[in-house]
Amino acid sequence: MSQSKGFVFDIYRGTTHDGPGMRTTVFFKGCPLNCLWCHNPESISIKNQIWWDKTQCIGCMECAKTCKNISFDKKGFLKDENCRFCGKCVEACPAKALSFIGKYQDVQTLLKEVKKYEVYYKTYGGGVTVSGGEPLLQSDFVKEFFEKCKENKIHTALDTCGAVPFECFEKVLPFTDCILYDLKLMDSQLHKKYTGQGNEKILDNLLKISYLIKNKKINAELWIRTPLIKDITATKENISAEFEFLKENLLDTVSRIEFCTFNKACVNKYEKLGVEWSLSHYPLIGSTEIEEIRKIALNKGIDDEKIVISGITTQ
Amino acid sequence: MKVRNEYKAKFIPSKRLEKVIEYNQELAYTGKRNIYTADTTQLVYHWTDKSNGVVPRTGEWSHPPEMNISMGDHGCRVDNGQSFPKYDEVPSHVNGYEATAESWAKDYAFLLENTPASIHPFESIVGEFFWEMNEIRKYNFGEKVHEMGREVRKLGAGGTSHGHTCPDYNIGLTQGWGGILNRIDESIALYTRVEEAEKTSYLTGLRIVCVAIIDYIKKYAAQAKAFAEKETDASQKKRYEDIANDCEYIAENPPKTFHQAVQWIHFAIMTDRIVGHGNGYGRLDLYLNDFYQNDLKNGIITRQDAREYLAEMFLKIRGQHFSIGGRLKDGSDASNEMSFIILEAYDMIDDYNNLFLMWHKDINDDLMNYACDVLARHGASVPSMANYDLLVDCQLRSGVEKDIAWNVAVSGCQWFCLPGREYCDQDVNALVLLDPMWRTIDRGIEENVTEFTRLMEIFKEEFKRTAEALRIFKDAQYDVLDKVWPEMATSLNCHGPIERGIDMTGARGVDYQFTSTNILGIPNVADSFYAIKKLVFEEGVYTLSQVKKATEENWKDNEIMRQRFLKQDKFGNDIDEADAMCVEICDIIAEVLDGTKNNRGQQYRGSLFQFQGHTCTDVLPATPDGRLAEEPLAHGCNPTAGRNVNGLLATANSVTKIKNYKFQGGSLQIELQPRFFDGKENMGDYIKHFTESFFEKGAFQINLNIIDLEKLKDAIEHPDKEEYRNIIVKVTGYTTRFICMAKSFQIEFVGRNNYESI
Repeated sequence: MSQSKGFVFDIYRGTTHDGPGMRTTVFFKGCPLNCLWCHNPESISIKNQIWWDKTQCIGCMECAKTCKNISFDKKGFLKDENCRFCGKCVEACPAKALSFIGKYQDVQTLLKEVKKYEVYYKTYGGGVTVSGGEPLLQSDFVKEFFEKCKENKIHTALDTCGAVPFECFEKVLPFTDCILYDLKLMDSQLHKKYTGQGNEKILDNLLKISYLIKNKKINAELWIRTPLIKDITATKENISAEFEFLKENLLDTVSRIEFCTFNKACVNKYEKLGVEWSLSHYPLIGSTEIEEIRKIALNKGIDDEKIVISGITTQ
Repeated sequence: MKVRNEYKAKFIPSKRLEKVIEYNQELAYTGKRNIYTADTTQLVYHWTDKSNGVVPRTGEWSHPPEMNISMGDHGCRVDNGQSFPKYDEVPSHVNGYEATAESWAKDYAFLLENTPASIHPFESIVGEFFWEMNEIRKYNFGEKVHEMGREVRKLGAGGTSHGHTCPDYNIGLTQGWGGILNRIDESIALYTRVEEAEKTSYLTGLRIVCVAIIDYIKKYAAQAKAFAEKETDASQKKRYEDIANDCEYIAENPPKTFHQAVQWIHFAIMTDRIVGHGNGYGRLDLYLNDFYQNDLKNGIITRQDAREYLAEMFLKIRGQHFSIGGRLKDGSDASNEMSFIILEAYDMIDDYNNLFLMWHKDINDDLMNYACDVLARHGASVPSMANYDLLVDCQLRSGVEKDIAWNVAVSGCQWFCLPGREYCDQDVNALVLLDPMWRTIDRGIEENVTEFTRLMEIFKEEFKRTAEALRIFKDAQYDVLDKVWPEMATSLNCHGPIERGIDMTGARGVDYQFTSTNILGIPNVADSFYAIKKLVFEEGVYTLSQVKKATEENWKDNEIMRQRFLKQDKFGNDIDEADAMCVEICDIIAEVLDGTKNNRGQQYRGSLFQFQGHTCTDVLPATPDGRLAEEPLAHGCNPTAGRNVNGLLATANSVTKIKNYKFQGGSLQIELQPRFFDGKENMGDYIKHFTESFFEKGAFQINLNIIDLEKLKDAIEHPDKEEYRNIIVKVTGYTTRFICMAKSFQIEFVGRNNYESI
């Protein structure tokens, strides 16, 4: 089934953390996982949503005039379960405090947008990254989009959680230059506890991808990415298990292992969604813990040059 | 507390230089290097009844310091707390003021004669001064011109003429002051023979200026000699002797060694800056490389010596603009070993600098890498990046010949100039775009305009009226400029004045005398018209009369309406339709100015920037882009703070949609968070690739601060804290210590977009 439109909720221009060089990252809405630390909570639901930015709201109540399903209380803007996302309130808001999170875009429009920054990809060796959410929930669209990117000689990167049927990968991988593959927790029970799903399919898909690379069925670089959350993913056991797994199965196909430290830059997103975030006061990773990870890697005989640690720490 | 990136010094200053740094830094952070502007009218219209340019610090035409606004610590003048001791004996005070070059020259010579030679221990490059010409001599065009100025201000035009050009020091470095003096004498003989009294009189004045400079340098030689005789410390004695010998030599002769050449340039700048006007000084690497190579061959210099001499000059000359890089006449890369050493000198001492790297596609890659590395580590926009090939194109478009245009140099905040060949009033004229916009709205109401295209036609007519007003005002100034305030010290190192017997400010004194003018408020006017187009003409939600009333009342009781205007798409987000409005406005500006000529027959040129006028909220009412009167306008051609939400690349794309080649400068101002570079091994790489891409798209200039604006907010409240003393930022096209700026500038600065990433 071909999807003619992609459901996109954001575009970041000039990113340097989502693959090689300087890139445009397109974020797709909808995710099979529901990670406790999610940095894009607005991406999880596949449905469109309306969110409210209290920093922009002037309290004029123009929205409430359009709809009986809307109310204000101490917490601010509220919609009840009868909201059918018709968008009248969004349209009425003079301050643009209300907005739809996602937007349907066709391939041509999206391609035109990313091509605006072509000169930066060229000088910097960058390109386009699809992220999310989970872009492979819209694999037909991503395939079509990547195909067009390749026709235009734009480097493509796929940022994926891996928790999708392998058929989705099969569609997209022939047009993918770099795979940013998330490994969160090696223990499937813990994985289920913190993300809502076990990790069997994720690991299985990763092995299949590695096989394709190894046998030159596809021509893509493979990067592994792990979020570092204190006491959850950033434990000695989890990191050791991850390195062990990588060493046994993937050492010759993985070119980079990146650890992204937990930060709380997304706290306002939870506020805008009107959702309590249990990690809003959660501690950051310290630099001693980072050193610990490097030590584990060294012990496991993993090449230090492959390891990249990004993001902020407490120091 | 991490305001900037921490970095390891690549070069270590000697103990001697450390003392010089200490002395100069103390002068700076205690405010003794500050320069002041008279009022916000000056900042917006570049002209006020109070002063023509930088406000005199002492004397009859000064104002109480608390009434002035500090621009920052980039003054050359050292404030010693006293006014000119022989004020009553100034020739024009004794003999009566005359608006002639000779009278001006006599005052200038008197000022130099009575400025003591000031030599500090440990220095190897000497020269500072304490009073400027405008403290002892009236700079005033006369009541007729002033009256005209008040009238044209009502139409949104203003300006003055003071410096803001660039001499060619290749002249003096090869001829020496003695050689220049000989040429003046030859010219006097010629014009005496053919009875050209006016020219003879001008040249007689020029002779007085040249002799005064020679005597001033000799005074340093004598002072150093006297110090040497008394000095008991052997190394200090040797330093005094070296200074004495070099000053004695270069007073009349062209310099032979690198040290002499740096000292020569230093004196040339001192005696130029004592006039009280800001100039740029050209391509430093091209001036100095041969001297350095020659010294190396003779085994009398080390690279560290060269760095230290340059560093000393940078510490003292403060806000002077130099360029490195660019191309040579044959199109090849002009960068040389000196380009590196100049950067290394800054890298060694940090502190204050206004150095530009003129980038082009063929520039030495190692130099570009090092420049980006320096920029990333220090984070204070040194060097600023300029797009050399675009600068040349702009000069060619104005009508400069190809075999001359190659020598262009960035010479000021965001403008460029042909050293020794231009007097173009860069950065001292203003067209305030808000005024024609108000008149357009008024006429739109009167004429009951129903089509937006008609409104744009009216805007063009109204902008033309403003430009005409400026032209008439400027012509009146040009008629008397070379008599009221000739730039004689600068003219000594220009191509034309001596041979023609005409000051560079007089008609045909130098070949190129375009009129450049800053344009204030382009993004705000574009955003205003865009919002009007959408909400008045397309959606019909409001009328022009409502827009006029709401903005006149600063949107009082009209918050819903204001939000609707504010939340329309804005310039700077790479949204084609919104950006197209800005492009259209810029096209109108260029078209009108292309057709405007000054009374020298040379054309007007617009600049896509204005340095601090945008902060003057007391004279800039609310605008239809949803801006409140108390909020600053956009800075130059950068989007208004807070309105570019799609990131830096989107903004960069928007800026390059403007046909930059039709203008005379304009910078993208970037404030990056230090933490952006966390975990990145090669910080300079990011800057390099961004710069290359941006310039390939046809942009002028990048000013990049890597600084945590949140932390700087604390510096506003606690300027006395030691850790804030030496925080230096590129605030517009110029650099300053943050704590030395007026509070209003500080507040605007920290309110800018702090881009999370490139």
